[in-house]
Amino acid sequence: MTPSREGARIALAVGAALALGFAVMACVSDHPWAAFRALLTGPLPSIERAADGRMVVHRLVRFGAWLQDATTLTLVGLAIAIPFRARQFSLGADGQLFMGALAAAAVSLGLGDTPTALPLAFLAAAAAGAGWGLVAGLLKTRFEANEIVTTLMLNVVAVQVYRLVVGRVLNDPTAGFITTPPLPEAATLAPLIARTTVTAMVLVAPAAVAAALFLLRRTTLGYEIDLAGANPWFAVRAGVPVARATALAFALSGAFAGLAGFHVSNALLKRLPVDLTPGIGLEGIVVALLARGRVGALPLAALGYAYLRVGAQAMERATDVPREVVLVIQALIILFVVSDRLAPLALGLMRRVRTNLGGRAA
Amino acid sequence: MSLDLIAAGTVAAVVAAATLRAATPIIFASLGGLVSELAGCINVALEGVMLVAAFAGVITSAYSALWFPDAPLWLHPWLGCAAGLLAGTALAGLLAVFHLELGADLIVAGIGLNILAQGLTVLLMAHLTGDKGSTASLTSFALPSLRWPGMGGVPVLGVLLNGDGNAGHNVLVYGALAATGWVAWALRHTVFGLRLRAAGENAEAALAAGLPVRRLRYAGLLLSGLLTSGGGVFLGMGYLTLFQADMAAGRGYLALAAVFLGGRRPLGTVAAALVFGGATVMAARLGLLAVPAEVVFMIPPLVTIAALVLVKQHQRLAARRRAAAGRAALLSS
Repeated sequence: MTPSREGARIALAVGAALALGFAVMACVSDHPWAAFRALLTGPLPSIERAADGRMVVHRLVRFGAWLQDATTLTLVGLAIAIPFRARQFSLGADGQLFMGALAAAAVSLGLGDTPTALPLAFLAAAAAGAGWGLVAGLLKTRFEANEIVTTLMLNVVAVQVYRLVVGRVLNDPTAGFITTPPLPEAATLAPLIARTTVTAMVLVAPAAVAAALFLLRRTTLGYEIDLAGANPWFAVRAGVPVARATALAFALSGAFAGLAGFHVSNALLKRLPVDLTPGIGLEGIVVALLARGRVGALPLAALGYAYLRVGAQAMERATDVPREVVLVIQALIILFVVSDRLAPLALGLMRRVRTNLGGRAA
Repeated sequence: MSLDLIAAGTVAAVVAAATLRAATPIIFASLGGLVSELAGCINVALEGVMLVAAFAGVITSAYSALWFPDAPLWLHPWLGCAAGLLAGTALAGLLAVFHLELGADLIVAGIGLNILAQGLTVLLMAHLTGDKGSTASLTSFALPSLRWPGMGGVPVLGVLLNGDGNAGHNVLVYGALAATGWVAWALRHTVFGLRLRAAGENAEAALAAGLPVRRLRYAGLLLSGLLTSGGGVFLGMGYLTLFQADMAAGRGYLALAAVFLGGRRPLGTVAAALVFGGATVMAARLGLLAVPAEVVFMIPPLVTIAALVLVKQHQRLAARRRAAAGRAALLSS
């Protein structure tokens, strides 16, 4: 399918999912229109003319939340999309993100206020995520352990390791709740836009996508990963180290998820609470699906999906609709996007209805 | 001496009864996963099916009491049970339609349906009870427990058959055992079971032999939904007597692991499900000691991964031994 038709198909799927989501909202809400409007315009800042004639920008926080959410989603989207090139369903981005965040915080706290803390924390997060991803990769290539099951199990283990370390090793007893001490100033990223949490990571995400694109298109490893996914039998016969390429695809995906963890610890929260909510890693599935496995399209898909997520938070705060409605919309988007025969079927049905109507009129 | 034996036996019986109870939802779901896997359709939506079944069961039993206040009390849980089975099977049917009619990837669609189930149950729960956590504010009902009469004084057997508090086991615990027997028998000894496995083993050959492969896969997925719903209903109307957000808590994925762990055979699958149930019980027992809760929660996933690795290693050694035996037989002849 050509990219433009593919794009139209995805727009159709998203539109249909939003329409059905609105139907669900109409069932559970007293003011479905207000909720829908909040959902669709929530992340936009509003510009108003103040009394003294100056322009004032409101709701910049939510606009910033949109950008930083898109950053996280791009990175976890990469973590899903890269193993998918090798036809592997890795659901482990969550665990890798937790490991990355933990490593980044531990390194930052250990090094303290030194200029090397920031780059070393960045590298530690990538390494920790990659290591955690490599475990799933090796379990798959050495023991043929189903990667859906192992990555989900490793997620549970990673979250518990995280809670154990934050609660018992890095705990700040003066905080009043269970959390690490605030990370040192030198290890954290300053906001690029005032009053938001948008940091330099917003530029790192597209850079990561570009790096991944280069790796997949221009290096031997990338070619091997693609071959391992396209036809593993042929690849093995041709002497391609399929097992190594597959395992490295997992490690690579883990590195990107680990960077998402760095984003959470050193740019967004600047200290790690014990009850950091798991689940953002799974959102990467939606992003990867919306991008249809095209790595270059990930930032766009992440921006679109982050818009919906931030809109949902705005909606929950402004109306009586819980934000879980976005889970429903997300699920419908997944289902509609992967249903290859849905669009032709719907179009055929519409055409038949139209010809029937035309026939009756004539 | 004999007193020690009885004490040890009682502890073993308590653990065994608790394991059976904890394993019941996983047994149901893993049987469901097995049936569809053998039909050639991996069912990743087990988790969502359990959630939907538990939710529909709990809500229906609660509203049945509100709508039919004059009906006998035993009716409400059974109405809930029926609704739960129906709702879970319907979700599996949705997976079948998306995969078989609309060409959706089975794994991605399964994950999508899990997310749908998670979102819809919380959304409807918040709408009906005003609470996003659980349905504690509603009075829902549990399915009855079966008690063996006259077992109160029997030392070890009484605890095993009637549970720790002598209250008996939930009827669905026996349901899980019955379902195990039925699935094992039906897959092996009925025409339907043979055809189902044929459709999964080699779809082209089955088609060439004139089997309705698509219809068989529908049957496999729907049956998978029905069996898995049993586990969901047990969660909401036996294990606990309410619905909680994300109540399945990964059991659907554990059940999927049990299918692979059990070598895609009924008894092996159920044995693996019992191992997972045992890991949960062990975790709960260790939690009573000074072991940190975080370590306890790591046990079931680690057991799963270790078991997957060990089974593969075992299969490999067995294959090597067979090959060696074959070579030896060739050389000696």
